[in-house]
Amino acid sequence: MLEAQDISVNYGTRNALSGVSLRAEPGQITAIIGPNGAGKSTLLRALNGALPLASGNLLLDGAPLRSYSRRAASRRIAVVAQEADLRFPVTVIEFVLGGRFAWAHASAWGWETERDLAVAVEVLEETELRQLKNRPMNELSGGERQRAVLARALATEAKILLLDEPTANLDLSHQATMMRLVRGRCDRHGASAIVVTHDLNLAAQFANRILLIQDGRTLAEGAPQSVLTSQLLHQVFEMDVLVDAHPTSGAPRITPVHL
Amino acid sequence: MKDSAHTLQQRRATPKRTLMICSGLLVALIVVLLVASVIGSERLPIAAALGAIFTGGQSSTGLTAEQRAILFDIRLPRILLAAAVGMSLAAAGAGYQSLLRNPLAEPYLLGISNGAAVGTMTALVFFGAHEWSRPLMAFAGALAATMVVYRLARGRTGTSPERLILAGVIVTTFLSSAIVFITTLMDATRIRAFTFWLLGDLSGTTKGLLAVALIAAVVGTVTLALHARSLNLLMLGERDAFDLGVEVGRVRFTVFVAASLLVGASVASSGSVGYVGLVVPHLVRLSVGSDNRLVIPAAALAGALFVIAADTAARTIIAPRELPVGAITALIGAPLFIYLLKRG
Repeated sequence: MLEAQDISVNYGTRNALSGVSLRAEPGQITAIIGPNGAGKSTLLRALNGALPLASGNLLLDGAPLRSYSRRAASRRIAVVAQEADLRFPVTVIEFVLGGRFAWAHASAWGWETERDLAVAVEVLEETELRQLKNRPMNELSGGERQRAVLARALATEAKILLLDEPTANLDLSHQATMMRLVRGRCDRHGASAIVVTHDLNLAAQFANRILLIQDGRTLAEGAPQSVLTSQLLHQVFEMDVLVDAHPTSGAPRITPVHL
Repeated sequence: MKDSAHTLQQRRATPKRTLMICSGLLVALIVVLLVASVIGSERLPIAAALGAIFTGGQSSTGLTAEQRAILFDIRLPRILLAAAVGMSLAAAGAGYQSLLRNPLAEPYLLGISNGAAVGTMTALVFFGAHEWSRPLMAFAGALAATMVVYRLARGRTGTSPERLILAGVIVTTFLSSAIVFITTLMDATRIRAFTFWLLGDLSGTTKGLLAVALIAAVVGTVTLALHARSLNLLMLGERDAFDLGVEVGRVRFTVFVAASLLVGASVASSGSVGYVGLVVPHLVRLSVGSDNRLVIPAAALAGALFVIAADTAARTIIAPRELPVGAITALIGAPLFIYLLKRG
């Protein structure tokens, strides 16, 4: 279980995050929303231990994250970043097997084991990429590539998933697939997911809790119904929004008012 | 279906595949080594020469004393040095390309070879009597140049290919001026030999430097190979590598040191042999994929092969005179570099 206690992060002299607390509970999806530059991605990088904390504590299963080796931390926390920047040809299976690195023994040159291959094939099946396993990554469409990035994170078998705008470049269908996969992981394997997203309706639909960030501070935190109010959203995004209930699911439905 | 027609490049690297490919390369290397030992400005009788090599010099019937001397005192050391240099530069090139995420990264083009050359020349001018100072200062020069290029190339968002090439150009040209400056401190008789050496010369080395080159080649290549899987992940970006469990800072430092060792030892013993670190890893990747667990050992073996062949050409094309081996590697490497640039 990952827990941030009152953390602050600085970028040079600038205060990027201030006093943010967060708990990733097993089986739960937490969405982080807020305007551009609010510090959402910074929070995600900090939760992964990639940024030094100016103050506060970051605990993984009760112990400070920095007390874990990089490998040990990566077995427990996986990151789904927005884009894979590929400069060398790599096939889908090779790419996804990268997620097994944290499980390799330091010796024996890190060759993949039978288990590694089994896990990789399983996640490829789960993300509907099995047919493409020997295809070079740069021949995949944007949606397929993003699924591959998710597959790699799932291949780490980490119980905590950090996702940075995983649906940013995806069409409606792929957005739904992506979030269903994450939801499935949380429901079936007890994983917890923290998702930074601009898509408020997606957050309302899939998240158990929402964290609203502005200027590096937590403005609101709680169930979607309590955070996604027209009042709060107007305050943060400086525009009028209509919030009602989705006709089928009952989750909050956010409709911007452009007039 | 496309899947059934996927090329060798798209097959995953496995221990078995790596062993097969490297064994094949090793056999080819041995063949080239033996052929090179027989041909030259003084052609040696094949059977007798091979017999002498296989018995380790114990029985050299069929060879005159002079031929025996040529084989064991001049030619074989030179061929072994060519192998060491080829292995070192190709492995270092593969390492830099993975770490800096740029298929065009190469010790020569990034100015790292020049850094080693400046180190070697400084050692020659100021500590001439101590032979060991040359590889040592070459290593220091290579490492210093690496740090400068890396710092220069590293923008806020990481090293872009353009920044890296620019940084390489700056460092290379600056160090070239430094080399010219040091040359002026030498007397005229040494300058000519020096210019030749600077272009890559495998002829003038000593037993001591050969030993250093061979040991460095093995130590450096093995070190890089041990970090091959980390390098695979670093090829995808430092952030991704960090997320997946690589100790980025530590691996980067180790790779830079190992690569500087390889480049330093090569340059100290044979000057700047360019393009090997570019051409060989790239051709290997085109043939067998980008997995460093296969690419690093394969490039090392192929590099040894390449430089032995280039050096053999260098000493036979205009025999009895010699071309610098760096000229041959550049003649092959530069057009290939242009072709690779154009392919994108």
